[in-house]
Order: sequence, then C-alpha cells, then structure tokens
Amino acid sequence: MDSFSSPSSGSSPKFSTDDIMSQLRTQLEQAYAEEFLETVRGKCFDKCITKPGSSLSGSESSCISRCVDRYIEATGIIGKALFNQR
Amino acid sequence: MDPSALNSPELQNLLAQEKEKAMISEMISKLTSSCWDKCITGSPGSKFSSSEANCLTNCAQRYMDMSLVIMKRLHQ
Repeated sequence: MDSFSSPSSGSSPKFSTDDIMSQLRTQLEQAYAEEFLETVRGKCFDKCITKPGSSLSGSESSCISRCVDRYIEATGIIGKALFNQR
Repeated sequence: MDPSALNSPELQNLLAQEKEKAMISEMISKLTSSCWDKCITGSPGSKFSSSEANCLTNCAQRYMDMSLVIMKRLHQ
C-alpha cells in the first residue's frame, strides 16, 4: 500500500497520529457496516422468505422493507436502553 | 513508517478509546440480534407494537442485570 511505503534513505516521513486514527476509524466503520448488513440479511431472510418461490413476491418485498426499518429501529432502542440505566 | 510513532502515549490513548467504543458497538450489535429473536416473534410490521418495543428495552436492561449477577457469582 502506497501510504505505508517509506523511502529507504535517511529521513522517513513521520506518519501522524491523526492519519493512523483516521484510517482506523474508516476501517472500523466499514467493518461495522458489513457486519450490520450481514446480520440484517440473515434476520430478514428468516422472517420474510419463508417459502422461496421463483421470484420475490410483493408481500415478501414489503416485508423485507419493513424488516430493515424495524431492525434499524431495534438497534436504536437497544442502544438507548443500555445507556439510560435506571 | 517511523516505528517510534507507534509508541506515543497520545496514540495509545486514542487506541484505547477506540477499543472501548468498538466493544460497546459489538455489545449493541450482539444484544440487538438476541433481543430481536426474543421479542419480534411475528412478521415485522410498519412500526413496533408497544409490547415489542418494551420487550426490546427490557431485554437490554435484563441483560445488564444478568451481567451483574454473573459477576457477583464469580466473585463468591
């Protein structure tokens, strides 16, 4: 990766803490997004595609839409519940 | 890359914060998955019923209670 190479002679450019942290956060966000996507796919497949047909029916499609919305909402509810302790 | 940049206390500090955030994020992710399974038993609607929403909230809070019970148990 280009950004990690340094010249072989004397003064190598210092990689700033900001750069490292910025890359780390970007990669973490990507990892979270992928994990979330994978989870939602699994949950909504289980809930909505109970008898796979030769194509997605209208009711399966609307179920999937609602499922995604509800799962996002559930994530928010859980997050709030964890940090609004009694 | 200058390896000495990795040893800075500032970076170690920032990494520790990110690690904490990552652990919290993971917990929310796992809990949401479990609580969804426990609480959303039928087909997803266009909004949560109040019993579904309460169940989710209860689920997270009971998890925390359980966690305390477990720690106390392990310290006996």
